[in-house]
Amino acid sequence: MLEIRWHSRAGQGAVTGAKGLADVVSTTGKHVQAFAFYGLAKRGAAMTAYNRVDDQEILNHEKYMNPDYVFVIDPALVYTTDVTINDKPETVYIITTHMSTEELIESQPKLQGKNVHTVDCIKIAQETIGRAIPNTPMLGAFMKVSGMYDIEFFKESMKRILAKLPPKIVDANMLAIQRAYDEVK
Amino acid sequence: MIDNGWDEFEIGAMLRSFDGAVKDIATTLQEDRPYSKNNSFTASVADWRIEKPVFNKDYCIDCQFCWIYCPDISIISRDKKMVGIDYDHCKGCAICVEVCPTNPKSLLMFEEKMDEDEALAGWPEKENKEK
Amino acid sequence: MAEKMELRDIEVWDGNMAASQAMRQVQIDVVAAYPITPSTPIVENYGSFLANGYVDGEFVMVESEHAAMSGCIGASAAGGRVATATSSQGFALMVETLYQASGMRLPVILNVVNRALAAPLNVNGDHSDMYLGRDSGWIQFDAYNPQNAYDLNFIAFRVAEDHEVRLPAMVHQDGFLTSHTAQGVHTLDDDTAYSFVGDFKPMNDMLDLDHPVTHGVQTEEDWHFEHKARQHHDLMTKVFPRIQAAFDAFEKLTGRKYNIVETYNTDDADAVVVCMGTAVETAVEVSNELREEGKKVGVIGIRVIRPWPYDQLLDALKGIKAIGALDRSSPNGTFGMLYNELAGTVVNGDEKKVLTNYVYGLGGRDLLKSQLREIYAELLANAEAGKPTTPLQQLIGVRGPKISFH
Repeated sequence: MLEIRWHSRAGQGAVTGAKGLADVVSTTGKHVQAFAFYGLAKRGAAMTAYNRVDDQEILNHEKYMNPDYVFVIDPALVYTTDVTINDKPETVYIITTHMSTEELIESQPKLQGKNVHTVDCIKIAQETIGRAIPNTPMLGAFMKVSGMYDIEFFKESMKRILAKLPPKIVDANMLAIQRAYDEVK
Repeated sequence: MIDNGWDEFEIGAMLRSFDGAVKDIATTLQEDRPYSKNNSFTASVADWRIEKPVFNKDYCIDCQFCWIYCPDISIISRDKKMVGIDYDHCKGCAICVEVCPTNPKSLLMFEEKMDEDEALAGWPEKENKEK
Repeated sequence: MAEKMELRDIEVWDGNMAASQAMRQVQIDVVAAYPITPSTPIVENYGSFLANGYVDGEFVMVESEHAAMSGCIGASAAGGRVATATSSQGFALMVETLYQASGMRLPVILNVVNRALAAPLNVNGDHSDMYLGRDSGWIQFDAYNPQNAYDLNFIAFRVAEDHEVRLPAMVHQDGFLTSHTAQGVHTLDDDTAYSFVGDFKPMNDMLDLDHPVTHGVQTEEDWHFEHKARQHHDLMTKVFPRIQAAFDAFEKLTGRKYNIVETYNTDDADAVVVCMGTAVETAVEVSNELREEGKKVGVIGIRVIRPWPYDQLLDALKGIKAIGALDRSSPNGTFGMLYNELAGTVVNGDEKKVLTNYVYGLGGRDLLKSQLREIYAELLANAEAGKPTTPLQQLIGVRGPKISFH
């Protein structure tokens, strides 16, 4: 079982990102689950979304999770929420920040000794899509860090999932995914 | 209405108006309609009356006021001509008498037991209204 | 003519989308709806299917859930295939009309996305609204995941509209835990899905002008009891054979097998939990893990809540020594519904069983696997002792001092 927890703000697309990832994974024959904690569900409020991936049918409906991966797609959440809650020694972090990994860990001592990767999904989204929607770049970074799928396969899959959007926006998302894949450290 | 057992009626809080199929029911006269036993047309309320309206065709102008106002569809009218009263469904409310515009009235209330010929024989004269 | 939608064999849908897609595929004549979290996306998706030409029907926007069900009742009496969706407070407002629909024997389908009832206000999932509907004369199906929510809609239409049944049916799913959780759903293509349910066959419809009917008649002490007796009789005797037939046909069509009472690891079990919704699946996972440790524990999931599956449960509980009834609704002054129903089910049997009650998960509170392990440990102790070793009713997962009764 692979378990992922997303830290996001309502409106940044974590739910869409989690569902999109689940959709791609499902096409490879695996079982998936994507859900979220909505809480007050106000745009801008901190929220969490979740993915489970397994070869077997997923029966567990606990919201509780010891994640294998933690995605943080808003830079401030590292300080205002505990992104390390219920983690385990091997948990991998991918965190959106303008800082280097070292600077980030120095600014948030809770991350010390953890497997932390950084990428500036906000900047990438602003420069490609034109809006601070950092969900698809995070998935590009995840492909690099996890080596889950070939990036070209992943982009093709995401094209299908985003097909309802205007073609220009779809292309911009592909660019964002590729840049995050290339830039994650 | 027959007191059927719980397993002896069609399901649903539903009653059929007619037995079998009906066509052009709107243009079929009441007496020709195949009303079902569940239709209230088959239930007489004649015994509710204490007084009954009697119709005197000598004064009627076929204005249809009584037909329009009767709350129980008990005024029988055919081709816009007043025919008489449906005594199975008339409850004796006297609204038809109240709305009758003729002088003297073409509808008047009499005791239930009163013979119709006797009622017609004693019909009042035209009233002279003061100017 | 409605356009067809191409679906992949497996779509990643949440429970709401699964329900809306099933509603689209059976081609409903009238949906009268009022939105409420977490069921809103069901009718929102459906409205978008209709607007985009995938459904030939009417979508009636109304001013309340009471009006929504009233509209459904009118449309159903008129002779159409009818459905809607709601949750929680909306369901509560609908209750008065629920009894009208079932008493009038109108096969309305209601998707209920289970949510807690205020106060305090809460949008998350528990089974309070589902429990509120249990005396309303409807058939109640319970989904444990989005796949179930999709499949059970087809079953519900097929059973409810059967002229032998003619009773409305609810398809329940857990708010957020199912309704907003995306999982792989095996789909049916549009034609196959539609033919499983078939064309709507009207009965006593008001639009049959050659056979005029009066719907919603008044009866007093002379007739009311006979009508209620007939409805109760049909729920008790006619519904299960039709559900079983629909389950069998569905298995033949899809390979997916549903049972009126679902059993997991129960064959030689000493202890079982009986529960509904997503809790069933989480409990199955825990029971699988405990089986590997040699513990004889299983799970019984209630698939059909009304009619209550008395015979099926007696059969499923054979040989089981300890039962934990898991209720996701505040009983407010008594035992939980499942405890009481199960007590009534087993009390006249030959076997002595220890029955205890757990109240969990109110207002969306997480049901943890660790809690289920503790429950199983207690139930196994009950089975061993042949009598309760814990209080009869315990609230689990609540902050503060331990709270239990009797």
